[in-house]
Amino acid sequence: MNVVVTGATSLLGGEVASQLAARGDHVTCFQRRPNLVGLVDHLGDIRDADQVAAALDGQDAVVHLAALVAPRMAWSDAVAVNVLGTANVQRGSAACGAFVHVSTPSVAFHDVAAVGEGAEPAAYVGHDAYARSKAIAERSVLVDAALGSVPTVVLRPHLVWGPGDTQLVGRIVARAREGRLVLPDHGRALIDTTFVDDAAAAIVAGLDAAMTQGSATGRALVVTGGDPRPVGEIVTGILEAAGLPTRIRSVPAPLAAVAGRLSQAWWPGDEPPLTHFAARQLSLAHWFDQRQTQALLDWKPEVSVDAGMERLAQWFTQQS
Amino acid sequence: MANNALHPGGASRHVSAPARQPGHADLTTWGLDPAWSRLVTFQGAAGVPVTWHVLDTATTLKHPPTGTLVCVHGNPSWSYLWTDVLHEMGDSWRVVAIDQTGMGFSERTGPRRLAERIDELVACCAQEFDGPLVLMAHDWGGAIAVGASARLPVEAVILANTAVAKPEDVAVPPLIAAARRTVDLACRRTPAFVEGAAAMTGRSHRAALRAPYRTADLRSAVADFVADIPVTPDDYSAPALAGVADAFASLTCPILLVWGGRDLVFHDRFLADLRRRRPDADVHRVVDAAHYLPLDAPIGAIAGAWLDRTLGAGSNRSDLSTAGTSNDTSISNNTSNSNTVDSDALPGPGSDAQPMGTPVGLLAEVDAHRGDATTLYQGPEGALTWDELAVQSDRVAAHLVAAGVAVGDRIALLVPPGPDLLVAAMATWRAGAVLVVADATAGIRSLRALIRATGVRAVLGTRLTLGVSRATRMAPGATRLCFGPMPGARDVTSDLRGQPPEVVLTGESLAAVVHTSGATGPAKPVRYTHGALSAQRDIVGSILAEGGGSAFTTSFPPFMLLAPVVGMACHQADFPLAHPGRLTLDALAGVTKDGTVGTAWLSPASARNLVRTAAGRHAPVPLTLLAGAPIPRGLVAGVAEVTGGQVRAPYGMTECLPVTDGRDPERIGPLGGTSTGAPLAGCDVEIEPLTRVSGGRDASGHPEPIVGEILVAAPWMFEGYDARWMTDQRSEVRRQGKRFHRTGDVGYLHEGTLFQLGRMAHLLHPTSGPLGCLAIELPLAEQLGCEVAVVGIGPVGAQVLVAVLQASGRLRPVPTELAKRARASVSVPLAAVLQGSLPADRRHESKIDRTRLAGVVDTYLRGR
Repeated sequence: MNVVVTGATSLLGGEVASQLAARGDHVTCFQRRPNLVGLVDHLGDIRDADQVAAALDGQDAVVHLAALVAPRMAWSDAVAVNVLGTANVQRGSAACGAFVHVSTPSVAFHDVAAVGEGAEPAAYVGHDAYARSKAIAERSVLVDAALGSVPTVVLRPHLVWGPGDTQLVGRIVARAREGRLVLPDHGRALIDTTFVDDAAAAIVAGLDAAMTQGSATGRALVVTGGDPRPVGEIVTGILEAAGLPTRIRSVPAPLAAVAGRLSQAWWPGDEPPLTHFAARQLSLAHWFDQRQTQALLDWKPEVSVDAGMERLAQWFTQQS
Repeated sequence: MANNALHPGGASRHVSAPARQPGHADLTTWGLDPAWSRLVTFQGAAGVPVTWHVLDTATTLKHPPTGTLVCVHGNPSWSYLWTDVLHEMGDSWRVVAIDQTGMGFSERTGPRRLAERIDELVACCAQEFDGPLVLMAHDWGGAIAVGASARLPVEAVILANTAVAKPEDVAVPPLIAAARRTVDLACRRTPAFVEGAAAMTGRSHRAALRAPYRTADLRSAVADFVADIPVTPDDYSAPALAGVADAFASLTCPILLVWGGRDLVFHDRFLADLRRRRPDADVHRVVDAAHYLPLDAPIGAIAGAWLDRTLGAGSNRSDLSTAGTSNDTSISNNTSNSNTVDSDALPGPGSDAQPMGTPVGLLAEVDAHRGDATTLYQGPEGALTWDELAVQSDRVAAHLVAAGVAVGDRIALLVPPGPDLLVAAMATWRAGAVLVVADATAGIRSLRALIRATGVRAVLGTRLTLGVSRATRMAPGATRLCFGPMPGARDVTSDLRGQPPEVVLTGESLAAVVHTSGATGPAKPVRYTHGALSAQRDIVGSILAEGGGSAFTTSFPPFMLLAPVVGMACHQADFPLAHPGRLTLDALAGVTKDGTVGTAWLSPASARNLVRTAAGRHAPVPLTLLAGAPIPRGLVAGVAEVTGGQVRAPYGMTECLPVTDGRDPERIGPLGGTSTGAPLAGCDVEIEPLTRVSGGRDASGHPEPIVGEILVAAPWMFEGYDARWMTDQRSEVRRQGKRFHRTGDVGYLHEGTLFQLGRMAHLLHPTSGPLGCLAIELPLAEQLGCEVAVVGIGPVGAQVLVAVLQASGRLRPVPTELAKRARASVSVPLAAVLQGSLPADRRHESKIDRTRLAGVVDTYLRGR
C-alpha cells in the first residue's frame, strides 16, 4: 500500500512512518524538511495546495500529522497550517482509500476535569490558537467524512512522549535545568499519556480501520496509554530518567492560572514561560475511558508508564 | 367539647368556586404531565353534584394497566403529593390521584365531615371505575380511604403516615393541637398551617403544595378539615372514625404501611398503633423520610414492588399457604442439603407450629441448673451463680408481667454489661417478651432513633440509663422498669409474690431485635426467632466447647448472653466493656491464669490492643475466635503468639452468625483474600457471580473459583429486618427452596473454603472486570507494613485504582520509592499511590469508609 505521512519530522510522525514501512507499506513523507527516519521524502509546504496534491497523487492512503504546535502562535499561522493545511490534505486525498487525521484531546478541553471520558465533541472555544485551530480542522474533517468522501478516522493521541520527544520531555528537562520547573498543586491532577510507540500503533490501526471501512470510520477517538498518573509523578519520572534532581516547586493552581494569563499577555518572545491554557491543563485531571477506542481500533497499548520511563532513561544514557 | 359547628364563623364564610384544571405551564413546572389533569363530576355528599380535579394516567398508559390505583391525599395537600407514584407506576397501573372536595383544584363548596368525605370517595370510585381497586392514602386521607374500603372492591391498601384512631395515651400532635386552637386564624385567614406543613418537606415541593391554597377563600376546607379531626369521643366525627378503625380491623386484603420515621405529626406511635391493630400488615419504614413520605421517599418503587409481589405473578402467597408442612425450626445442625427448614416461609399466626420442648428453649440450661451454686458469670462488675440467675430472672419476669408486658411485647434493655444484663435478658424471654438490643456506644441520638423505631412496650434499665432515656424521650409511652428504686419506674429487685408465668412459645416466636453495626450503611433492626437463636445456641455451644475449658471469655458484651444459654460459664476480663479496644494482656491473663477458660471470642480491636500490650508475655488460651473476618495475617500471628493456642477467624454478620469455622486464617486464597474457613455444618454458602462465569480452569486443572456476592442460609439466620419490607425483598434470595441472605460481601469458595474480598459496595471496577478491594489491599498492606485502602475512581468498567496508605495529615503523594514498591507488590496497575488519614468508621476501628475515601481521592486527583 502506498501511504503518505505528513509531518514525519515530528517524533510521532517519524514513528508512524517507520512502523508503516516496517510492515511493508510504501511510505512517502511530506513536509518541509527531510525526515530523520531514512524514508522517501516528498518535500513541500502543506499550505500550498498544489504541492500537497502532487504529493498525494496516486497514493492509497494519507496519515495527516503535520501541524503547527507552539505555546503561542499567530492566529493566521494556526489557520494557515492547521485548518487550511488540513483542508489541502483532505482535498488532495479525494482519490485515496483512507484518510487518518491526527487531532488532539485539547479540542474538547473546557477548563474542567475530564475523568474517564470518551471523545467529546471538538468544541473548544478558548483563546489557545493551537486547540482552536485543531478543533476547527477536526470538525471540518468529520463533516466531510459524514458527507461520504474518503473513509476517515480521526484520532486524538493524548500527551505523546518517548525518547527524542522535544515537546513534553524536552520542555520539562529544559525547564528543570534552568531551575524554572513549577507545577500547580504539586502536580496532583491525574492525566493520561501515550508512549510514542503505542500512539503510532494506534494510528496504524486507525489507518487499517479506515481502509477496511470498519466501525471506527467517521469517528473521533481519544488514544491514550490507559495508564493515567498524577502530573507530578510523570514529571518526576522524566526528571529521574534524565538524571536530574526530582524536587519540584509547587504553586497553588489558581495562582498558576493567573500567572499563565499574565505571562501570555506580557511575555515578548514566542515561548512564554507559561500560558493560561497550559496552566489549566496541568491543574486539571484529564484521563479517558479507552474501552471504545480499543474495541474499534482492535488495538491495545503495550508500554506502561513505568516501562516507558525505563526506555527514556536508557535513551538519556545513550545521549550523554 | 361537642363541636357541631365546624367553625365559629358559620357557613357564610364559604365562597363557592368551581373546580378548575391548573395551567399547562404550572403542571409542567411541578413535574406533572398536563395530560393527566381532568375534572370528574359525580353525585356528592350533600345530594348535589360535586366536581373533583384528578390526575389520571389513563391517557398516558404504555401498557394495558395491571389495575387501578386510587390515591387519596390528606390535609393540607393535594394530588401533587403522589407525583412519584404517577411517574413510577403510571405506565403499568392506572393511577388516579384525586383532589378532595374543597381541596387542591377541586370545587370549593360547603364544609365536609369525615363521613361525607368517605361517602364522596365511594361515590366517585363507584362512578369512575369497574373492577377491583388499590387504595393508597396519606395523612387523614388514610382514614377516608380505609373508611371507603368497606364499600369498595378493594384488592390492596397502602397507607403512609396516617391513623385510623388516636392511640389512647398519645397526645394530639402539637402542630394539629395548635392549629385547632385558633383554627380560623391559623388555617384559613393566614397561610400559617399550609406553610407549616409545606416546610416539612423539601424546598422543591413547597411551591406546588401551596399553589391551590393561595387565598383565605381557597383555604376554607383546610380549616374545616382540622376542626373536624376528632380528638375526644364527643367530637362530631368520632363515630365516623370509630367506623374507620372497625373497617381497618376487618380489611381482608393485603395491607402495606409505608412510614416516614421523622414525622412529627404521625410519628412512630401511630405506626405502632396500626401494627397492633393489624400485625399481618407489611411494613416499610423509611428512616430519613418525614411527614410527606410520598414526596420524601421513593414510594412508587416500594408500592410497585409490593403490589407485584402481593398481587402479581411474583406473588408467593400460594407458596405460603402450602409451605407449613415442616416447622421444626428448633432443630439445629441440619446436615447441609437435607430438607432444611425454612422458618420464614412458615405461616405465622394460626399455624400448627409445635411448642418448643420446654416453655422457652433458650432457658433450658437455666432451668436445669436451678439450685446450682456454681458461678456462671464472673466479671469486674460482680459474679452471678446459676441459682441466682434463675431466682432473679423469675422475679424480674414476674415484675414484667405485673407491669403489663404480654407475650410478644418488645422490651428495650438499657442495662450495662454484667450480671444484671444476664438477669434482664433471661427474664425478658421468660416473660415471653422480645429483647431489643441496641449499641449504646453509638451515642444517645442513634440509640434513641433505634429504640423509637422498634416500638418498645417497656424499658428495663438502671437509674442512670432510665434517667437518660426519660430525659431524651427515648421510648415515649413505654413502661419503665429499674434495677433498684427509682421514682416513676417499677423496681424489679423488690419482692413480688407470684410465680413466673408459664409461657409457651414456638420456634417462630420472635425472641430478639438486634441492630446491625451501621458500619456499612444505616443501622438496621434485625429480627431473630426463638428457633433461630436455639439453633445458634447449639452451633456456638459446640464451637465454644472446642476450646476444652469450662468457661469462655469475650470482649463483645452481647456475647456474654451466650453463657446461660449454652450452659458454659463466662469469665469477663477486667477492662471497660464499652471499649473493646482497651482489652490488655494483663486483663486477659487475669481470667486465663486458672486454666478454666478454653475459648476467647475477641473483636479485632481487642486483639490488636492485646498484641500491643503483650510485650513478649503470654495469656494461654487454647482457642481464640476473632470476629470481623477477614483479619490481617499479622494480627492472627500476633494473637497466636500471645495465647499459644489456635486462632480462628470465622465469617459472619449480625444477620447470620457464624457462617464459617474460621480455620487457617493465615491461608491466602488463589484469587486473594485470607481464609475464613469452611462453611459450618447446616449452613449453606453460595456465590452469585459478579460477571458471566467463564468456566475456565486454573493451572492445576481445577475449575477457576467464581467471585461473587456471598449468599448464606442457616437455621440460625435472622428472620428478617424489622419494618423494612423493601430491604427484606432486596436481601432475600430463594434457591433450592431455601431462603438465602445476600450478605453484601464479595468472596469465593475454593476447595471448600470461603475467602472474603470485601464489600460489594467497595468493589473496584477497572476495565479488566470487577475486583474485591481486599484482593489488592492485603498484599499491599503486607508488603508495605501499613494499613492500605484501595478505591476506584472514574466510570464503572473503566475505573482506575488508587491506593491510599494510612498516614496522618492531608492526602498527598507518597515518595517515589514507596510508590514503586507498592506497584511492584500488586498485579493490577495503580494510577496513584497516595497517603493520608483513612476515614474510619467510628464504631469499628478496623473498617475504613471506602466510599467516603473514594470521594476524597477523586476530588484530589481531579485537580482544581
